[in-house]
Amino acid sequence: MRKWIKSLTAVALAVSLIGGATSAASAASTLKGKIVINGSSALLPLTLQAASEFKKLNPKVKISASAAGSITGPQAVRKGIADIGAVDWDASQDVPGFKKFDGQVANPVAVTVFSAIVHKDVKVSSLTTKQLQDIFSGKITNWKDVGGDDEDIVVVNRKFGSGTRVNFQMKALNGTEFMSKGDNYKEVGSSGDMKTTIETTPNSIGYIDLPYVTSKMKALSINGVAPTEKNVLNGTYKVWGIGYFMTKGKPTGATKAFIEYIQSKTFQNGSLKKLKFIPLASVK
Amino acid sequence: MNESTRSEAPYSFGKRNSSSALYDRIFTGLVWGIGILVILFIVGLLFMLLKNGLPKLTWDFLYSIPSEIEEGGGIGPALFNSFYLLAISLIISIPIGLAAGIYLAEFAPNNKLIDFVRICVEGLSSVPSIIFGLFGIALFVEMFQIGLTILGGAISLAFLNLPMLTRITEESIRAVPVEMKNASFALGSTHLQTIRRVLIPVALNGLITGICLTAGRAFGESAVIILTAGVTTSGVMWDFNLFSPGETLAVHLWYVQSEAIVPDAQEIAQKATSVLIFIVLLINIVFRVPLWLNSRKTKS
Amino acid sequence: MIEMNQTVQTASAELGNSIRTGSGKSFDRRARLRWANSAFRIACIAAAAFVCLVLFGILFLMFRTGVLTFQEVSFAEFFFSADWDPENGKYGALLFIFGTVALTALTLLISVPFSVLIAVFLAEVTPKWLRNLLRPVLDLLVGIPSVVYGYLGLTVLIPWLRDMTGKDLADGLLAAAIVLTIMVLPTISRVSDDAISAVPKKYRDASYALGSNRFQTIFRVVLPASSRGIVYAVILGMARAIGETMAVVMVIGNTAQIADSLFTPTAVLTSNIVMQISSVEFDSTWNYALYMMGFLLLVISLIMIVAVRFLQKRGVRES
Repeated sequence: MRKWIKSLTAVALAVSLIGGATSAASAASTLKGKIVINGSSALLPLTLQAASEFKKLNPKVKISASAAGSITGPQAVRKGIADIGAVDWDASQDVPGFKKFDGQVANPVAVTVFSAIVHKDVKVSSLTTKQLQDIFSGKITNWKDVGGDDEDIVVVNRKFGSGTRVNFQMKALNGTEFMSKGDNYKEVGSSGDMKTTIETTPNSIGYIDLPYVTSKMKALSINGVAPTEKNVLNGTYKVWGIGYFMTKGKPTGATKAFIEYIQSKTFQNGSLKKLKFIPLASVK
Repeated sequence: MNESTRSEAPYSFGKRNSSSALYDRIFTGLVWGIGILVILFIVGLLFMLLKNGLPKLTWDFLYSIPSEIEEGGGIGPALFNSFYLLAISLIISIPIGLAAGIYLAEFAPNNKLIDFVRICVEGLSSVPSIIFGLFGIALFVEMFQIGLTILGGAISLAFLNLPMLTRITEESIRAVPVEMKNASFALGSTHLQTIRRVLIPVALNGLITGICLTAGRAFGESAVIILTAGVTTSGVMWDFNLFSPGETLAVHLWYVQSEAIVPDAQEIAQKATSVLIFIVLLINIVFRVPLWLNSRKTKS
Repeated sequence: MIEMNQTVQTASAELGNSIRTGSGKSFDRRARLRWANSAFRIACIAAAAFVCLVLFGILFLMFRTGVLTFQEVSFAEFFFSADWDPENGKYGALLFIFGTVALTALTLLISVPFSVLIAVFLAEVTPKWLRNLLRPVLDLLVGIPSVVYGYLGLTVLIPWLRDMTGKDLADGLLAAAIVLTIMVLPTISRVSDDAISAVPKKYRDASYALGSNRFQTIFRVVLPASSRGIVYAVILGMARAIGETMAVVMVIGNTAQIADSLFTPTAVLTSNIVMQISSVEFDSTWNYALYMMGFLLLVISLIMIVAVRFLQKRGVRES
């Protein structure tokens, strides 16, 4: 009698273990939902990479992400068009030029490093803050005034609402106003447009976040300090900001799981670093 | 010219060396030159559009999901959305457009009110497409609060199609010879029977041409879709949910070109261009060839 | 068809009135037919009314949203100030109006001569086989989506302009006008072609009989006779150019300044709306100003259509 009680308990234990394991595994992948993300184009590579990894783990969740500039993120959340608004600043606070968005919760996701960029044929590789201020406000108009060739400077700016623009203006230009008119001045709508424009327009200068920098453009050092993770961590390079995912109230369901995935150590120290963002924990 | 014809009318066709003859030669040369130039230009344009994309097209480009970060993505959901939105908008706009066109051609009296209605229809057809996008935002995003969806995009597209379909229906039905209509009445049929069994089949040629033109235009429409259906898809193929975001192929072409995160963004844009042109040409040609053959049969 | 003679004789007085004659065994069928007839008629009236309703709905909604601009911005500032700086509360739309007008004028300047010449080429000069080949090709060109033209402009035209002029930034009115010309050319050519072909053969014969050559015939007889149709074609092309959005936004530079040269990045009504509409709150003055600009576009297009109608009416009366 004892023998079959023993074998019965063994079988029951085994079955419950297997059952528990499979149900735990399928519980993770039965997460359902739809997540719509709008907003920052600077954070877009991060969002897309996280989305593709998250979808592999949770095949029933549908994620669609697009970008049209940081301000569109919290606006879309407010209008109900999106579940997450990716912003390059904390939109639950007042920021110069933008009012806070009431009722939205800011979930930090990454540290974004911004850099001034020029077309690859421009001979300059470092600029001082004063030179940057004068170039972007239109006072200096020729590359020869800052050590380059005798060519007109083509200034490419981001349009209003861009988080990259807000961060660059505050931290690299110390608040100087951008120029807004001119024969050699152009505005673009997203980080991707900025990248394409700088790559194809000779003698151009603009600004972008590190994940978009390619070999067809040059990232400038500011005051001699290169835009690298090391320099951000030791405090010498100051042009960086924290990216946030805004949600209406505290996030729930699939949205919450997604944000937690991005904030998890595996993602932060893995894919996030590979994309040239900096983990949140490094700067806190 | 006056001098040569006034005094020498009987002999003027013998004159070959006056200044007007020179102008004639120059003019003929100019027109031929410009004509050839334009033909070469059109051929060059089409060639340029297709040469980068067409050779690199593969079947799985057409139905695979767009890749977010890596190369090698496809246009599957966007292509599906293009057809889906087109189908829904045609389902909505063809009955209404046809009915309105039949009204204007058959039932409407010839007074000022109907003139006004005709001006309204033509006015609606001249409205820039972005206005339909703004209208769609005010209606679907603000008033009904459903966000950027396939449904909103399809209905806005339907509004865009309506005036063209109305006008084409009216013209096609008017073009049916009156004798046929009278013959049908003479046989004792009611107005509805006449319309259904005589007018529409005879006008079918023009109607289908018009529907193809409208479909071709709606397929390539982008401003309306961007504003009402968004720039993303839900990421899976065969998503029939009316409330998911509805990026179409034309929008995807613009968006992948401007977002530029994947390394082969330019290549995807070129391939998407060729697919887009190919389908638009297909819609315009494939449906019209049988009609053309049919009309050649019935003509001579 | 053979039986028709008898039917004609007996029913000649009842053309279309077959359902109105009295009662009998087939009364049910008659009533059903009558009901179907009326129902169909009502459905058609409703459809036509719906189309008008859509137009009025659009006008009303655009106006209602756009007119809210004037709560904060004065009439004079919106229409006569060229300073568009919404972040600092400045809403001068003159520069966009100027941009639209300048772009359309430039486009027509380039495209109309070419289009009319091509139309003449098609209608008068080409042999029949070439004509039947070219007409469908032009029709197909009309169907190519505008994003494709914009993409071509961005990837082919701008670098070419850059090489030709040596400037770094070749965006601006000229690039946009060239792209729009290519878009509008098939439309104007084909409609002009139809108008020129519609000129009766006897006009041409009369002109040849008087001893003129082909050039004189075309310029002094055919073109003036088809002038109304050509004007109609030009207005159609103009409507298309004014309302074009995506092709323009890719090559015009999108900067809020009045263009003082052909290569200054600038903006027009349509390009500005599409660039800024996604980053504005619906209940803000900025949004209302964008809707007001949309309303302006709407009004301009409608005026053109009314003008065309007016022209056509006069033409019918005169001929």
